[in-house]
Amino acid sequence: MPAHDMTSFAEPPTKIVCWSCGRENPASAQFCDGCGKLQPSVPVDYFQFFGLPRRFRLDRAALEKSFYALSRKLHPDLYARAGAQEQQWSLEKSSLLNDAWRTLRDPLARTEYLLELEGVRLEEQSRNATDEAAASGTAKQQIVPPDLLEEVFELNMQLEEMRTAHASGQNDPAMAAGLQAARRHFESQLEEAMEQLQALWAEWDNAADAHNIVEQKAVQQKIVDLLNRRSYIRNLVRDVQQALAS
Amino acid sequence: MAYSEKVIDHYKNPRNVGQMDKASTEVGTGLVGAPECGDVMRLQIKVNPATRVIEDAKFKTFGCGSAIASSSLATEWVKGKTVDEALEIKNTDIVKELSLPPVKIHCSVLAEDAIRAAIGDWKKKNVAVEHSMATAGAAN
Repeated sequence: MPAHDMTSFAEPPTKIVCWSCGRENPASAQFCDGCGKLQPSVPVDYFQFFGLPRRFRLDRAALEKSFYALSRKLHPDLYARAGAQEQQWSLEKSSLLNDAWRTLRDPLARTEYLLELEGVRLEEQSRNATDEAAASGTAKQQIVPPDLLEEVFELNMQLEEMRTAHASGQNDPAMAAGLQAARRHFESQLEEAMEQLQALWAEWDNAADAHNIVEQKAVQQKIVDLLNRRSYIRNLVRDVQQALAS
Repeated sequence: MAYSEKVIDHYKNPRNVGQMDKASTEVGTGLVGAPECGDVMRLQIKVNPATRVIEDAKFKTFGCGSAIASSSLATEWVKGKTVDEALEIKNTDIVKELSLPPVKIHCSVLAEDAIRAAIGDWKKKNVAVEHSMATAGAAN
């Protein structure tokens, strides 16, 4: 990855001097370019750790390759006879490596993580809106559009009706077929949401490449809305699957 | 994670489950959701137009035990209060009453939102009433 991509957002210290040979390396370097020694742990985000630009889209296969390569090279066993500091760094870096890998390899975890780096905390949006409403004495600005809430509520009502009939031993084939149809419906909605998310990733990444911050913010909001919508659909899928399994 | 006894009680015997006529001018409906967990909650109040006292409340919640308990408790608390008194109910009161753990605080937030939304809906339907009350209040 070209270095200019990596530094287009946050600007952490860009250079670090090797403790062993004195050569200047990029701050996110795991090893010295000159002497190959392990470098200190510095606070970097997961993208920086892998030397990746902060983008939603990434090459999953390439990421997996670097993960395995780095896990071998950073493994604490390799530093059993090194100095205490190097042992410590290898432990810290190995742990960071695992966290970074687990987060970046998962499309949703990666999306939420990148949003967090951009200052969006999904967990807090609802809370913040409540505080604002309480302070101004108005009804809360709902995070989720009212029509979606209506839709979700109605679907839940239907699902509950189907489940109650199912549980009371009415082995109505039409009921089972209804549940199956509901499952297919929600599952395809989940897939659709994933496709929409990928399209929004591309929009945001392109805006980021073009340094168009206004556009980035606008797309970011669309991503948040989509993730919120997706949580509801995911719950409906879970509920209908449970109803079918019971 | 273990639920508190009060949560289990409200969950097993939810109070005031049901619905009221959404179209009635005496009824305020709040439909709110917590995107973090995908819960959705509907809380309705029936307000006496003369006294502004909430005479009845109903809820229907799709969500976890804490969300159901929070909304069940909210309907119990708002009943008999004036709309202004009901607006004083804070999610922290619900947290305390139900001993909700930190990860379930958003359920109580949802219940507070639902109360506020239901009252907001009722007020919207009763702008004229609201106006005359405000004038009467100012004269005192």
